[in-house]
Amino acid sequence: MSTQTPTTTEAAAPEPGEAATKKTLGIGFWVCIGWLLVMVFVAVFATRLPIPDPKFNFIEPGQAGPSKGPSTAHWFGTDKDARDVFARTMYGARVSLTVGFIAIVFGMFVGGTLGILAGFFRGWIDRIFSFMFLVLLSFPSLVLAIMLTALLDRKLFTISMILGVLAVAPVGRLARATTMQYAEREFVIAARSLGAKNKRIIVRELLPNVAIPMSALALLGMAVAIVAEGGLAFLGLSVERSITWGGMIQLGSDSSKTLQNQPWIAFFPIGVLFLTVFALNFAGDRVRTYFDVKETSL
Amino acid sequence: MAITLLFAVSALTFGAMNVLGDPLFNILGPIARDTSNPKSVKLIEKAKNDYNLDKPLPIRYGLWISGFVRGDMGVQFSTDGQPPVTELLKERIPRTVTLLILGQLIAVLVSIPWALLSASRADKFVDRLSTATTFMLVALPGFALAIILKYLFAIRLGWFPLTYRALDPLQTRLFQMLLPGFVIGLPAAAIYQRLLRTDLITTLQEDFILMARSKGVSKPRILFKHALRPSMFSFITVVGLTTGALIGGSIVVETVFRIPGIGSTLVEAVLRHDFPVVLAIVMIVATAFVLINLLIDVVYTIIDPRVHR
Repeated sequence: MSTQTPTTTEAAAPEPGEAATKKTLGIGFWVCIGWLLVMVFVAVFATRLPIPDPKFNFIEPGQAGPSKGPSTAHWFGTDKDARDVFARTMYGARVSLTVGFIAIVFGMFVGGTLGILAGFFRGWIDRIFSFMFLVLLSFPSLVLAIMLTALLDRKLFTISMILGVLAVAPVGRLARATTMQYAEREFVIAARSLGAKNKRIIVRELLPNVAIPMSALALLGMAVAIVAEGGLAFLGLSVERSITWGGMIQLGSDSSKTLQNQPWIAFFPIGVLFLTVFALNFAGDRVRTYFDVKETSL
Repeated sequence: MAITLLFAVSALTFGAMNVLGDPLFNILGPIARDTSNPKSVKLIEKAKNDYNLDKPLPIRYGLWISGFVRGDMGVQFSTDGQPPVTELLKERIPRTVTLLILGQLIAVLVSIPWALLSASRADKFVDRLSTATTFMLVALPGFALAIILKYLFAIRLGWFPLTYRALDPLQTRLFQMLLPGFVIGLPAAAIYQRLLRTDLITTLQEDFILMARSKGVSKPRILFKHALRPSMFSFITVVGLTTGALIGGSIVVETVFRIPGIGSTLVEAVLRHDFPVVLAIVMIVATAFVLINLLIDVVYTIIDPRVHR
């Protein structure tokens, strides 16, 4: 990974299986994966878990204000419409995780395909695709996302696609660089001299090699997509008529009074969003170090 | 190259706005769909004529881009066209630019001492703590950090004002921008710190550092005088490249702190479907972004003699 000279202990103990030299993902990685699995579980089974109805207004007759702090009945308190913040936070995971997942799958598929083709065929195909990536990278990502949401609708799938488009250029560049690195290697030349067609070389020889660094970036990319969705939702531009973390945070902070008197409305969703993004970033970083992916093309 | 890129960016933006969107509907509202009523038809004809909507797309693009480079960005669809887009943006851009400069300044001023501290105690407690902190800052979305800082320093402690007020005198307004500046600057500082720390650690293993140390040069002097400068190259590049991401961040920050800059204007225009404003802002931001990247390339060649070909 680094350019430093190997230390003496590493040089003196080259045997495989040595505890000191064996690369592991570390306990932090598994804690993060654990948190992510919990969030996925909650998102999938939200309707069946014993949590309150996120759209129900818990108003009792003779009560002073609709919003109450955390209690045993409502773990994260209730918001201005007396809805359960804990339940809403759990349901909010659905939009965030779905959008993040679809976006990164789309970005990987399209960006990966274009990048591999550009890196393999070079010439004018490379020039066109690279220029396309450059054009996409000429917009700050949130600006591009805002522009596209303004023009298209705000359904779950559309938002996911828009954020997927943002992932195309970075993923494509990485795929292109990696492909170019491997296209000159002996095993590709060997396959070609045995009479393999381009299609076979790309699918059987190059794709497995390019997929490793790309998959290492998948977790980081998903974090970026979830943050972007949160930003859009916070600005009121994400999926309409559904519960999102960004939307909840916006609701809890749109006036300074709310933020001052009922901080739990904004801070619990912030906490869960932060932990999720942190887990994705941390796990992604560990995976990247594990597979030794360089950030040259990012 | 930059010109071709800007042409492609502008054509794509303009095309998307006009093909995916419906400008006529955005000017007139429901009247645009009401083709049976002769009164509406008259209005539609007038609007088409006024906004050149009856001409083919390439010609409209030509008219718009020639106006744009001459500083005429058309009229707003909403608010009956007043003030014109150029006037509106002339008032709003300086605020965003001030915010970005302040954010970058804070980021650089925070990250350099922080990186020096970390690198001089590599893998010790302080370094580990600061690495954990950078991880957290990077994982915190801009709007979340904005709300946390606003809650702590403006609401609980009361050190800073809650929002920006455009009519206050200059010093007061700069002070009002300080907290938003930190919201933009701190995540950037975390990115810079990580990078500069790695480069510093590499530099500190070079022979000339060993030489300086064996001559008895003090540790702070080695860090500032010998190690810092050769470690700055990728730092400067990333400071430039990050500017684009900061423009995105400023959209959210301007919304939270009610600063009427181009970021919050973009969001308002999108919500009102005011396409000339959206188009102008997206184009200005993309142009600035492309030019900054070009500038970085030039600066990089000047400061790093190794890049000379």
